[in-house]
Amino acid sequence: MFKNFEFKHKVIGICGANGIGKTNILDAIWYLCFTKSYFTAIDGRIAYTPNQGFRIDGKCSINNQAVNAVAILRETGKKEFSVNNDLYTRLSSHIGKMPAVMVAPDDVIIITGGSEERRKMIDTLICQIDETYMQQLMAYNKILLQRNALLKQFSETGFTDNALLHIINTQLITAGSYVYKLRKDFLPAYLERINKHYQQISGSNEQLELSYDTPLDVFNSKSEQDAFELLFAQNHSRDLAMQRTNGGIHKDDIKFLLDGMPFKQIASQGQRKSLLFAIRLTEYELLQEYKGFAPVLLLDDVFEKLDEQRMANLLLDVCVKKQGQVFITDTHKGRLEAHLQNVGCDYEIIELV
Amino acid sequence: MNYSSTLLENAVNELAKLPGIGRKTALRLALHLLKEKKEAVHLFSNTIAEMREQIQFCSVCNNVSDTQVCNICASSVRKKSIVCVVENIRDVMAIEATQQFSGLFHVLGGLISPLDGVGPDQLFIESLVERVKTGTIEELIFALNPNIQGDTTLFYIQKKIESFPVKITSLARGISFGGELEYADEFTLAKSIQNRISIERQKNNY
Ligand SMILES: [Zn+2]
Repeated sequence: MFKNFEFKHKVIGICGANGIGKTNILDAIWYLCFTKSYFTAIDGRIAYTPNQGFRIDGKCSINNQAVNAVAILRETGKKEFSVNNDLYTRLSSHIGKMPAVMVAPDDVIIITGGSEERRKMIDTLICQIDETYMQQLMAYNKILLQRNALLKQFSETGFTDNALLHIINTQLITAGSYVYKLRKDFLPAYLERINKHYQQISGSNEQLELSYDTPLDVFNSKSEQDAFELLFAQNHSRDLAMQRTNGGIHKDDIKFLLDGMPFKQIASQGQRKSLLFAIRLTEYELLQEYKGFAPVLLLDDVFEKLDEQRMANLLLDVCVKKQGQVFITDTHKGRLEAHLQNVGCDYEIIELV
Repeated sequence: MNYSSTLLENAVNELAKLPGIGRKTALRLALHLLKEKKEAVHLFSNTIAEMREQIQFCSVCNNVSDTQVCNICASSVRKKSIVCVVENIRDVMAIEATQQFSGLFHVLGGLISPLDGVGPDQLFIESLVERVKTGTIEELIFALNPNIQGDTTLFYIQKKIESFPVKITSLARGISFGGELEYADEFTLAKSIQNRISIERQKNNY
């Protein structure tokens, strides 16, 4: 089953009842930007009939360049991705070509969930800005799996091949040092800007503290490599005993403190939403600055579920000023229309039935 | 599927074990063999059985061979001072197809990958170290896939032979091998053999 849409305006409101497929449109756009779904890691799940394959074909203009991105998932599970009829051999080379920011109701998990959610947040952003970062991060994750498998093997065979462990450590350190250095250089300014936006949005004098939290920081090392070497040396026997790698950039986190207390423990619903919007707004601005053009903004159900109209309007306002395209879903046509008129943007409303 | 003959069913089962062969294709192949003359099918199955039974792996380089030492290692015109280290036999064939390489080979039989349960002991690394120890080799060219396992294997061997005066080079990385050496086109492969780089200058590059 195919559906065609044409989006002629800067702001596209998509309305319709729950379950009609509003979010699917946003996810289809996200898919063309990231070669994967925003909501699931399993491609087969987003097909109209699960596991029956799909095709997403999108035409747009980026920086005055015509771009036709096509994603195909075959019934066999094979994935093909092409831009202007050029088939990618590596999907990752597409990341960053079509920058995007999504705000979805479940995103507060960034604040309330485990550290992997926050690593995903910073990685999604930095990968769009720095291609080497993405490559080194992917390499790091692959080598980490090899290292953990090796540690398991040592325990099973009762023989520790220190020469091989040393080689794999060196490979892990080479990839990890790049990621560590970039996070160290990039995150302070990024976090500071989130903080600034948070203060604006919440309109209060709350003491919000955001910091990059990494096990590599405890060493006053001359270089990132040294920090890694020391961390691995320190964890050596523990790694062997537990058969996994206890320290590294895969343990990094972002700490949120409100008045000196963990944010997720004491923040209200409203404060959480404010922080989420501050994060997304910062991502939007940074992508715009690094790329030199505005990313696409996808707002899923922000009026209903997030119930923070002021913030949504603020975000909308920023995007309209930056000339970016915005897609926004809502169950109520009247409410959506009122908001869009209020912002005074060039908009259209698509009603799904 | 219902077979009226268990003999046919057995044949289909065996054929379906081959890589890339599904049950449908296996049935088609089996039915094709049934239409052939008995002698032709005999020849077919004997050829396969003989290959498996009689093939040898070269005692020097681990390449497939009909004799104890393969014809590349036995050749008097090839340079014995340059050895190209590859993952598998298909890589030997790909490099031979370029006709740009006149040295010898060493087939590792795989790459180090703990995730796949492959350690240095399962590969022909020790025999390579032994070859280096004899002192006849001046240069080792590593023609391994430019991926993590390829690098692990390269660095591991490099460490093992660091005390011997052997020059270590690698096919230029960064150029697209399409992931697998065997799929690289001959021109690209030939060029990267000529433009091989010294390993000291090489950095991790994925
Ligand atoms: Zn040989």
